[in-house]
Amino acid sequence: MHFRKLSRQEVNIDSKGCDCKTGTDPDIASIVKEVVEATGREKDKVIQILQEVQKKLNYLPSEALKEICRVTEITPGQISGVSTFYNQFRHLPVGKHTIKICAGTACHVKGSQLISEAFKRDLKIDEYTSTSPDDLFSIEEVACLGCCTLAPVVQIDGKTYGHVKPTQAQEIISDFLLTHKEEIHLNDDNKGNDFDAEVRIGLGSCCVAGGSKEILGRLFELREEYDLNIKLKAVGCVGVCNQTPLLEIITKTNAHSRYTNVRKEQVEDILLKHIKPKSLNKKLKYRINDLADTFIFDGKLNSPVNIPIESREKFLNNFLSRQVRIATYNSGILSPVSLDEYLLLDGFEALRKCVHLYDPESIIEMILKSGLRGRGGAGFPTGEKWKIFSGDSGAPKYVVCNGDEGDPGAFMDRMLLESFPFRIIEGMLIAGFSTGATEGIFYIRAEYPLAVSRVNNALKLCYEKGIIGDKVFNSGFSFNIRVFEGAGAFVCGEETALIASLEGKRGTPHLRPPYPAEVGFMGKPTLVNNVETLSLVPWIINNGAEAFSTIGTEKSKGTKVFALAGKIAKGGLIEVPMGITIKDIVEKIGNGVGEGRTFKAVQIGGPSGGCIPASMSDTAIDYEELTRMGAMMGSGGLVVLDDTDCMVDVTKYFLTFTHKQSCGKCTFCRVGTKHMLEIITRLSEGKADPKEIDVLEKLCNEVKSGSLCGLGKTAPNPVITGLKYFREEFEAHAKGYCPAKKCRDLIRYEINDNCTGCTKCFQECPVNAIAFKPYEKHIIDQSLCTKCDNCRVVCPDNAVEIVNIRDAAKD
Amino acid sequence: MQLKIDNKEIYAREGETILEAAARTGISIPTMCHRDGIEHYSSCMVCMVREKKTGSFIPSCSALVREGMEIDASGAEVISIRKRAVELLLSEHRAECEAPCRVVCPAGYNIPKMNRFLASGKISEAIELALSEIITPEIKCITCPGYCENACRRKKVDIPISIRNIQLFVSRNIKSDNSSDNTEVRNDLNKLFSSRIGRLDDSELREWLKECTDPGARFSDINDFQSAGSEAQSCMHCDCRASNDCALREIAQEFSIKDPVGKLIYAPIAKKINQKTGLIFENAKCIKCGLCVRVCEDSKDEPALCFMHRGFISIISEPLIEEFNNILATQAEKCIEICPTGALSRFK
Repeated sequence: MHFRKLSRQEVNIDSKGCDCKTGTDPDIASIVKEVVEATGREKDKVIQILQEVQKKLNYLPSEALKEICRVTEITPGQISGVSTFYNQFRHLPVGKHTIKICAGTACHVKGSQLISEAFKRDLKIDEYTSTSPDDLFSIEEVACLGCCTLAPVVQIDGKTYGHVKPTQAQEIISDFLLTHKEEIHLNDDNKGNDFDAEVRIGLGSCCVAGGSKEILGRLFELREEYDLNIKLKAVGCVGVCNQTPLLEIITKTNAHSRYTNVRKEQVEDILLKHIKPKSLNKKLKYRINDLADTFIFDGKLNSPVNIPIESREKFLNNFLSRQVRIATYNSGILSPVSLDEYLLLDGFEALRKCVHLYDPESIIEMILKSGLRGRGGAGFPTGEKWKIFSGDSGAPKYVVCNGDEGDPGAFMDRMLLESFPFRIIEGMLIAGFSTGATEGIFYIRAEYPLAVSRVNNALKLCYEKGIIGDKVFNSGFSFNIRVFEGAGAFVCGEETALIASLEGKRGTPHLRPPYPAEVGFMGKPTLVNNVETLSLVPWIINNGAEAFSTIGTEKSKGTKVFALAGKIAKGGLIEVPMGITIKDIVEKIGNGVGEGRTFKAVQIGGPSGGCIPASMSDTAIDYEELTRMGAMMGSGGLVVLDDTDCMVDVTKYFLTFTHKQSCGKCTFCRVGTKHMLEIITRLSEGKADPKEIDVLEKLCNEVKSGSLCGLGKTAPNPVITGLKYFREEFEAHAKGYCPAKKCRDLIRYEINDNCTGCTKCFQECPVNAIAFKPYEKHIIDQSLCTKCDNCRVVCPDNAVEIVNIRDAAKD
Repeated sequence: MQLKIDNKEIYAREGETILEAAARTGISIPTMCHRDGIEHYSSCMVCMVREKKTGSFIPSCSALVREGMEIDASGAEVISIRKRAVELLLSEHRAECEAPCRVVCPAGYNIPKMNRFLASGKISEAIELALSEIITPEIKCITCPGYCENACRRKKVDIPISIRNIQLFVSRNIKSDNSSDNTEVRNDLNKLFSSRIGRLDDSELREWLKECTDPGARFSDINDFQSAGSEAQSCMHCDCRASNDCALREIAQEFSIKDPVGKLIYAPIAKKINQKTGLIFENAKCIKCGLCVRVCEDSKDEPALCFMHRGFISIISEPLIEEFNNILATQAEKCIEICPTGALSRFK
């Protein structure tokens, strides 16, 4: 993300920077009435009603809650329980703009905590409030924004800033205030069909965060300006999230040229290199501009058009060539908003075959044979699930697509929903047809607004074409699909909790059996499948079970989509065959860790998974192998850690997450994880007794076997693997020593003899812990230092170093 | 359908839970969050059993029987996980089973209970209580140096309750022929499990064991039930009203668990009192089993208790938009009755 660089003095944050209107007191009763009329009065509508009311009022005042209870069937107890259970609902007003600071795994290891502190400091938000004194900004730490490759990420309203440094807080706020009202119109009006070229730009969330909307806006401008006959096409995620925005130009001769990390000012050069304006004076105009630019900007020499194609696309090919595309088939080609194009590229062909040629049993047989297993984490064979479900005679029967991807550090489902909504719909329809279900529900978390709107759009188009609804493709099969927005609770990824949430209850799981396939949504049989699982189905139907089962290992077939992020040179969204080794992913696809760093471990499976050390990176990725290692496939987050990452810190991070996300129903998860967190916290502060490590280990095993649902049963995994592979680090902490120099209470900042006295650290220190001493070695006043890391970031001479307090004491 | 519990062959009906099947055959499994007739919830995990084939632990109150199941309901591993569940529950149970006055009383008189009877004018109940407690021919208070009054929390505020005087006065009202020849020693409180809020301060302990030298202003002139009642009104009711009827205490006693050191602090210790129905709710004693939520019907006309928040900070509370005084106008008794601990009680 690029924004205007401002000096500290120039930045002046106050409400003058924003002239948005302050809302007048809205008439709560009429707003509630309007919402209820649209959604319905039933008890199970409570989440939708609260979401809509909050959208209009910015928060949920108690008058609104009372009013909802008055006019609907919802009771006071229910509304209180639900509105306090889900993260999305607020009972206090927030600032005009919300700053969301991503606390996902990738962002955490890249220092999101420091970013959060920097924003709070600059906005004068203390630890008890979350809104700035002028009511302009509110800060919210969110579990994961799903832009892991741009970590650390900050999102202000809809605008995302990636690769943020703690020293940039003020600049970002100013940039936002200056630019947040610039609207870019994305009218998809490609009239005609004989284009000189097709220009594709990725519009997944990562790409948008990387600035691809601005690029697209610029493309529209240029097309107008030079009167170019080109087709501008927004495509879904290509997976190369670290190189966003990605621009691809396909000329009439079918020559593909790809440009990565495109900046707005480069678009003109790139475009006009491949496509020549028609009229002479337009050509001339460009020439003159170009010439003038060459004189004015040195940057012109670095323009991407001057870089040879081999080096430009080398990494890209390395990144893409090792992948196998099934769930992400046709990525970078398919437009996520065009049904016609999906149909043109054999979309819904599998569904057509199913409803006209195959009988349901043979489809289930085919899925069974393919060896497809649930991609949500546990890996239950999908065919078997379908078979059990199809045997249920109850009606109506539901198919639910589980898109409540809450793992910090994972964004596969988001990308699939955003980029391939039609494929997932097709998968759901096939599941419905073969199991005798009649209604489908997409459960998508509310933090993914783009995914929600893409799926809604896709559903609308499918209804218009008769693909969903009565008599699908003029067959006897009828199926309806709707979208349900989750309200922010990680535990709702568990299928029984998800169903409770759909019914408008607190998302607490219950013991299985009964499985949802027997007693599910509204007490009716319900099939819950993960987004990725459903997206693999059409391919299997089209290409046959054998084609799928030849990919992968003996027990884990096909491909798996991973979100590769963390301390990796080239992160992104990858789809790889099962059985690929961790080493191949990290070194070959991801191009290794950063320069000068060593690869330490990979965290796989998020809060339910574990850390696998670099020494075991020959492990082939499949369900059984990962479980054997103590980790878990999970939904597919892969966060790479290097030697600067502390295992105690990472473990503490995951435990903090699961402990916050626990529903609080069963004793082991509610109280046990809290005890585990307390011990880990004491360890990270150097206050724990070495004996407590054994206590912790015992507790882990008890929580694992004593918890009710998958969340609690897997919550100790990060600790268990941490202790299994990195026990010496835990022991070092018990002695007050953090080997990776990460745990704040055990380290301090010092300035060494490299210091040239440039005073930059003095300028950036927010607490005046460094005195102004030009041309002299600076000194940090330890009593004032808050360890915000600013000085280390700005120091041009690597003079600021982090030392362990214990080492410093020895000197 | 046939299954084995603790190697006993059992026939069970389809749809029955393991707990029900076990109960029919006389195998008792402890449980706190479950009551017959109320939909199961599986929260406390004290009813854990182990499925031998898979080795996994399951809550027997909601796990259904399956053909050929082999259940271990009393093995060492099962007992150990049940114990752990109770320990974890106790670690957030910031409450005191007994009041200090009763703990230090050499005779173990239920002083707070007596005070409650007197304060609310229940004279016959008070006499009956005295009768049941005074086992030896005469009341011990005559010769006792008054540890109870030293330990009385009221002392920290102003002056202690005149406990000995109250007890003496009540004992005088016992008709002599009523005294039974009970020679059985009182239930020794020290052997009972007792939960504490914090660690007992040494100086406080010393205070308790001192002889009372400061008789206080209230020491004399208790001659009728009215003055006894008004003195008893000053009692702060430090004990738990469920001290004789608490599933958590019983189970901790059964497992010989010690009250954990270093309790987790979240739920407020404060009591919520419903002025209309006398319902008292103490969050710090709650085990979040939700029985009170499930047993009462929540409606607009009569709001009930509900769960709030999530995870470790989840609590039972009145609804956001209601006051504690306005809830459970007719159903209060039902939820006091069902609460396994002293979290819900009535002001008596």
